[in-house]
Amino acid sequence: MIELLKQLCELDGASGNEDAVRAFILSQIDGFCRWEVDALGNILAHKKGKNPAKHRIMVDAHMDEVGLIITHITPDGFLHFKTVGGIDTPVLLFHRVRFAGGFYGVIGGKPIHLTTGEEKKKLPKIEQLTIDIGAASAEEAAQKVSVGDVCVLTGETVQNGTVVKAKALDDRVGCAVLITLLKEESDFDFDASFSVQEEVGLRGARVAAHHLNPEFALVLEATTAADIAGVPPEKQVCRLGEGVAVSFMDGATVYDRVLYQAALESGLPVQPKRGTSGGNNSGAVHLSRDGVRTLALSVPCRYIHSASCVADVRDMEAQLCLARWMIRQIADGQLS
Amino acid sequence: MSNLQQDLLALSRAVGAGSVRGAAETAVGLLSPYADCETTDNLTVFATVNGACNRTLLLDAHLDEVSMIVTDIDENGFLTVSACGGLDLRALPARPVTVHGRQEIPAVFCSVPPHLSDGDPSFDRIADLKIDTLLGAEAKKVIAVGDTVSFRAEPVPLSDTRITGKSLDNRASVAVLVELARRFSAEKPPMNLCFVLSAQEELGLRGIRTAAHRVQPDEAVVLDVSFADGVGISPLDCGNMGKGAMIGYSPVLERKISKKLTRLAQDHKIPYQIEVMDGHTGTNADAVSLVGNGIPTGLVSIPLRNMHTDVETVDLSDLKSVCDLIEHYIRAGGGFRD
Repeated sequence: MIELLKQLCELDGASGNEDAVRAFILSQIDGFCRWEVDALGNILAHKKGKNPAKHRIMVDAHMDEVGLIITHITPDGFLHFKTVGGIDTPVLLFHRVRFAGGFYGVIGGKPIHLTTGEEKKKLPKIEQLTIDIGAASAEEAAQKVSVGDVCVLTGETVQNGTVVKAKALDDRVGCAVLITLLKEESDFDFDASFSVQEEVGLRGARVAAHHLNPEFALVLEATTAADIAGVPPEKQVCRLGEGVAVSFMDGATVYDRVLYQAALESGLPVQPKRGTSGGNNSGAVHLSRDGVRTLALSVPCRYIHSASCVADVRDMEAQLCLARWMIRQIADGQLS
Repeated sequence: MSNLQQDLLALSRAVGAGSVRGAAETAVGLLSPYADCETTDNLTVFATVNGACNRTLLLDAHLDEVSMIVTDIDENGFLTVSACGGLDLRALPARPVTVHGRQEIPAVFCSVPPHLSDGDPSFDRIADLKIDTLLGAEAKKVIAVGDTVSFRAEPVPLSDTRITGKSLDNRASVAVLVELARRFSAEKPPMNLCFVLSAQEELGLRGIRTAAHRVQPDEAVVLDVSFADGVGISPLDCGNMGKGAMIGYSPVLERKISKKLTRLAQDHKIPYQIEVMDGHTGTNADAVSLVGNGIPTGLVSIPLRNMHTDVETVDLSDLKSVCDLIEHYIRAGGGFRD
């Protein structure tokens, strides 16, 4: 699964531009399930299990990642941008981006030698940042880029032991786990969605859930881990290597209590997410149609929404085990 | 790909900080076909080419790079570091680095999510910005205090002529010196050339002092990088990317050398721009000019963006302009022959 994850992270798929990720996922799951691509670009798949399920189950992972969209080209060939999804300025300044053509840009700034006083400690506003693609004029820039083009933060994938650093771990971990679930034999039928546009407002999953019409949903995600030096324990939210995180509530969803409790008592490596910030596709899915009983299964991830996300493969394996177990419990009518 | 570009990529990848030998070894590998090379214990590389007279021109390009040094390792594998050189702390969150411990360990600067900090992170002290080794408790077994930490970034082209990467300050100038050595490989230059790839420039122009004392040249030209134009940068503070070699004029520089360089650029139609400084240049020229009984010194710079980050950017055409200019300067017998 780690090799699959690395392949997925190397692909660029800012929200609304998930084509490369979608093509790769289809190449992986084709032959293992029935699938279609809907009007927005979601992959909707049906996995035939050994037994019919007592309830319709949807398992979701989103394909998109945060990125930047070009809004203006200056006469000198620099590109102004807005963020696609939430990216904080600290992880933009002096970072690299990659465009769909495979070419690179740099989010440049004034060198430290020319900054004075308080400026040294203050981040520029996003409006003050520009991307340098090596063009000397607007005309030269226009040969490579048009306003409306998107790019993503790039970062080398590295692995120390079981810990991986890569871009886009949010939510390629979920994609890797969902691909794995679809490729292996399943005891029960279930539906899957690889959804688009999560980072711009949980948009793909909304129509995917409407289409699949599930009674239960499992959302495979990556969530903020702040188990880093200098952060007090009560603010660390969840910790790497201590299992998949399940939430009781976040900014978008109050989770199904029965599913939450069952996950904690599953005997698998599971930790409660000790915080209520953030949100994920559950927010859209649990309000679909008449309502869907939903739980998010999240891999703890440090420095999420940066070019250097860090996660532990053991937590991803825990996510896989818990998803497999929950599908079986729900499909068998154990959690009705 | 040109030799110059290929050399620049190899030199950018290499690490030259603390006791890490990569940059020195890479430079010696590139220079040794053309010059006699010696590496001293502080990782200065001397490469000499004998000339037709006994005058010696020292050509300096510092080999070191801005870096960090480990001061503490905690139980969970997070490092505290001090800066070696002028780092922009705002550029560090989520920045990939290599820790040069018992082996090379990829790591990353922490970035605290905004909802867990009160607004923007504080950039008061580098000691508050921890490094995540991804190793947890294992880190203490392979990393020790005093180990070097370097930026970790592969150089990539932005366009046909522009390249971004780490340590282009000042490997861009080192690449120019390699190209110069190559150009004089088949002929004897009119004077002795001593290429000095000096150490510890980023710590306060240190390595060049002892290096120049040893060489005792008749004159010196320092090659370095300087600020290029960009959004938010006053045109008064910078040169322009792609507009050629920046010839330094300053009270601390030998005016004859500055003027000779300017005249040669004009005569040979080499793109150049004048960089005027009102005193210290912030480069090794400030130090080398005061070595021994004093050394007349010139300064030629390559415009560079995003200095002291791992996305430093240069235009290869500027490297070529500097190379052409210094080649003519050598052929003309230096700054003191008309």
